[in-house]
Amino acid sequence: MLSRVSFAFTLACAALLAGPHAWAGNAGAGEPQGIAKQRDVRGWLMRIHEAASRRNFQGTFVVSGGGNVASARMAHYCEGSSQYERIESLDGKARNVFRHNDVVHTFWPTNRVALVEERNLLNSFPALLQAGADTLADWYELQVQGDERVAGHAADVLVVRPKDAYRYGYRLWSDKTSGLLLRADVLGAQGEVLETSAFSDIAIGVRAQPDSVIQAMRKLEGYRVLRPVMSPTTLEREGWAMRQVTPGFRQVNCVNREMDGAGDAAPGGEVQKVLQAIYADGMTYVSVFIEPFKEKRHNRPMQGAVGATQTLSMRQGDWWVTVIGDVPASTLRMFATGLERTK
Amino acid sequence: MSTASGSDAALERLSALVDGEAAAADAADVCSCWRDDRQIRASWHVYHLIGDVLRSDDLAIEPARDAAMLAALRTRLAAEPVVLAPVHPGSNTVGSWPAAPADRRAGHGGRFPWVVSSAVAAGFVAVIGAFSVLRQPAPSVTPAATLAAASGQPPAAAPSEGRRVAEVASDNNPARPAAFVAGGVVRDPRLDAYLAAHKQFAGSTALGVPSAFLRSATVETTGR
Repeated sequence: MLSRVSFAFTLACAALLAGPHAWAGNAGAGEPQGIAKQRDVRGWLMRIHEAASRRNFQGTFVVSGGGNVASARMAHYCEGSSQYERIESLDGKARNVFRHNDVVHTFWPTNRVALVEERNLLNSFPALLQAGADTLADWYELQVQGDERVAGHAADVLVVRPKDAYRYGYRLWSDKTSGLLLRADVLGAQGEVLETSAFSDIAIGVRAQPDSVIQAMRKLEGYRVLRPVMSPTTLEREGWAMRQVTPGFRQVNCVNREMDGAGDAAPGGEVQKVLQAIYADGMTYVSVFIEPFKEKRHNRPMQGAVGATQTLSMRQGDWWVTVIGDVPASTLRMFATGLERTK
Repeated sequence: MSTASGSDAALERLSALVDGEAAAADAADVCSCWRDDRQIRASWHVYHLIGDVLRSDDLAIEPARDAAMLAALRTRLAAEPVVLAPVHPGSNTVGSWPAAPADRRAGHGGRFPWVVSSAVAAGFVAVIGAFSVLRQPAPSVTPAATLAAASGQPPAAAPSEGRRVAEVASDNNPARPAAFVAGGVVRDPRLDAYLAAHKQFAGSTALGVPSAFLRSATVETTGR
């Protein structure tokens, strides 16, 4: 008798587990029939972006894709024009990330390592959006797909569809009251979900506590502090040209950086100078890394995906090119083969 | 048999079992008496009722209600459709599922198929669970990548929990070995450095800080 009961229970569990999956599949294939609201792609994205900068909120954020699940507790505060963020990872090795505007400190308390970075592109999106006001609409179309409830909040469901095969689509859940992005799915060519990131719970409009972030960022003593060096440059100056830029993408940055040989066999391996060019289409971005080819290091071309992020590494003459981005693999190949040595 | 089992010795052993003091060898023996002997079963019920009343007055209910509930439960269980039809080694047809345990002579052999079928169902749940977590459309992974997986060294640092989840999920899903590479379980450790460098520019996306930055901060790329 007991085994029969547990069997029925098992079936119920199976139905529950299969449920969300089936639902996601249907939602991906189903045609949106909601009446499109008067906002355009840019309007909706600006609303989402501004909510993220101007609201105070905290909650638990979960990212899942490619079989990985990671979650973090986070808080975002703003005071005047300053932004503060605290993110505490809940999976794997303990890791705390603090951000004050462009300065990001990452702490690994277990082995007492701290990474201090200047992320000068973090707030550049509005500029990018305003400069190319209409380019987003050239490459994506947006449809409002109704209302849903996410993390206890009523949300507008937006489907952002790419107009060509060079990029992925997105399904976004934007809080009705604040505009805050509560959940985002990255969708593949068939509408399949490649990666989901979402708040599992969130409180919007909390009291700002910027001091908690600033004080934590000061506590660097006892930590081995890593400060990666980055210097701005241009592809041309480094002797490169991008002959064939993927439609819709524009170069937004180019830096020379040092990449520690953390993965190398030799402990404390040599620091490799790498050229990184960043291309963006407004919704997503692609990094192109160029470094001298080294037989020992670059023994095999690679292609793979981590969640929605695709990676491609290949040799180009005396150089080794690695392209990374949340775009289809064919787009990465276009970037890799579009590079040309001019020196 | 009933004369022997109705004896004081049998009742004493039954009492020991109710109190949780019976030896393991005795337990099986007493249970088989319990199954076959109506009188012992009545005593078993009375002992439990005594225990219940000692614990709480609210449990002092008419025994007939218990019996009625049990009978109703048995009838409904018997009427329930069999989903994964088990084959009874001891009985002739599946349809003649006994209405009451007292009539069932199948013993351990008769119960075993149910255990198997629910274990099979549990297996399905694990696989379905893995699928809904994975939800991955088997990205195009070239033979080169599979090669990379085969010859790739383990990452310098211990894999994160997320990666372990992927590993477990992939184990349930041997049809798609590509997930090992795609899930980031085995890959070139140098790739992590590129990923970290890439994510540093997470602000360049339309969804901006909450999405891209948070996403990159949540998912560990460097195994420092």
